[in-house]
Amino acid sequence: MPYKSFVLPAIGVVVLVLGFMLFGGLGDNLVYYLTPAEAVSQRADFPDGERFRLGGLVVDGTIQETEAGVTFVVTDGDKSIDVANSGVPPQLFREGIGVVVEGSWSGDHFESDTLIVKHDEEYRSEEDGAYVPPTGTSG
Amino acid sequence: MRKRSLIVINLLAVLAIGTGFTFAVLAPSERTQGDFAKIMFVHVPSAWLAFLAFGVTLVGGVVWLVKKSPLADRIAASSAEVGVFFTGLALVTGMIWGYPVWGTFWDWGDARMMSTAIMFFVYVGYLALRRSIPDPETRARRSAVLGIIAFVQVPLVYFSVTLFRTLHQGTTVVRPDAPIDPEFLRALMINLGAFTLVYLAFTGWRTRLARMEDELEEAEAVSDFEIAGSGITAPRLGEVTGDV
Repeated sequence: MPYKSFVLPAIGVVVLVLGFMLFGGLGDNLVYYLTPAEAVSQRADFPDGERFRLGGLVVDGTIQETEAGVTFVVTDGDKSIDVANSGVPPQLFREGIGVVVEGSWSGDHFESDTLIVKHDEEYRSEEDGAYVPPTGTSG
Repeated sequence: MRKRSLIVINLLAVLAIGTGFTFAVLAPSERTQGDFAKIMFVHVPSAWLAFLAFGVTLVGGVVWLVKKSPLADRIAASSAEVGVFFTGLALVTGMIWGYPVWGTFWDWGDARMMSTAIMFFVYVGYLALRRSIPDPETRARRSAVLGIIAFVQVPLVYFSVTLFRTLHQGTTVVRPDAPIDPEFLRALMINLGAFTLVYLAFTGWRTRLARMEDELEEAEAVSDFEIAGSGITAPRLGEVTGDV
C-alpha cells in the first residue's frame, strides 16, 4: 500500500527531526545568550575555555582595533565585560549597538571569535537624527 | 471563483505590487541599517502571507470535516502550497537581510529561525501527504487533520521572539508605541496589502487548477473502468501447464 509504506516512515522521520530540533538543538539554546550580569554571576559554571554566547550593548568610546581584531566593552546596564574579538566585525558594528559574541572566559575578560550584531526593532529615517555611517573596522 | 474575477484580482495585485515597490524604493534610508532595512518590505509581507495561508488551510480543513465539501479541501491544499512558497521566501529574504546586518545569514540557536524552518518542513510534509493518498475522501480527511494540527506552529513562530531571547528583533508594528517612522510604516502597509492580493490571486488560480485536476482524475477513472472490463482475457491455463 503506497499510503502506509510512505507515510508511516515519513511521520517517523519528521518526529525524529522535530524531536532533535526541539530537545537537542533548541533545548540547549533556550537561553540564546547570557547577559553580562548573568555571565558574571554564573562565572563558576563557565571555566576558561567553556564556550557560551554573551549579549549586550557596546559601550561608547571603548572600541579599539587590535592586530587580532577589536576590543570593546559590553554592558547590560548592570555589569560590564571586556571583550577581545578576533576577526573582522560586521559592517554595522559600532558604539551603542547590540552584539552577541561567542567564545569563552579568559581570566577577567571574554575572548570571542564570532561577533554578530543584534539590531533592535526600531526603524527610524536618517532625517530624524544624524545618520551615523557604520564605523566598523571592516574595509 | 469565476475566471473574470480572478483576472481582476490579478490586475489589482500587479498594480498594488508596483505601488508597493515604488514606496519601498522611495522610503528613506534607515538610521542604523541604511538601505538594508528595506528588505523588510518583502520579508515581513512574506511571513504574513505564510501565516494567512496556513490559517486558510486550517479553516478549509475544519469546513471540510464539517461539510465534506471538495471546494474546502481544494482551497486548503492550494493555500498550503502558496504558504510553503512564502515561508521559503521569508526564510531566504531573512538570510539576505541577516548577512549584511547581523553578520550571519543563519543561526541554529535562534528560536524564530528554527521555528520557521520547522514550520516550512511540516507544511512540505503536508503537501507530500496529499500526494501519497489516492482516494480523495481519505486524502481530504487526513490532510484536514494535519492542516489543523500543524497550525499550532503559527502562534509559536509569531511569539518566538517574545518567548525566547533571540537574535531576531522583536515585534515592531503590533505594539502600542510602534517604534517605526511613518515613511516605513506606510510602505510596509502598502506592501502587506499588495502581497495579500498576490496571495488571493495565487490561491484563486491554484484552487481553479485543483478543480480541473479533480475533474480530469474523475474522467480518467471512468475511462479506466471501461478499459479494465474489456481488457481482461481469460488465462490460458493449457499453455502454462504445458510449459511446467
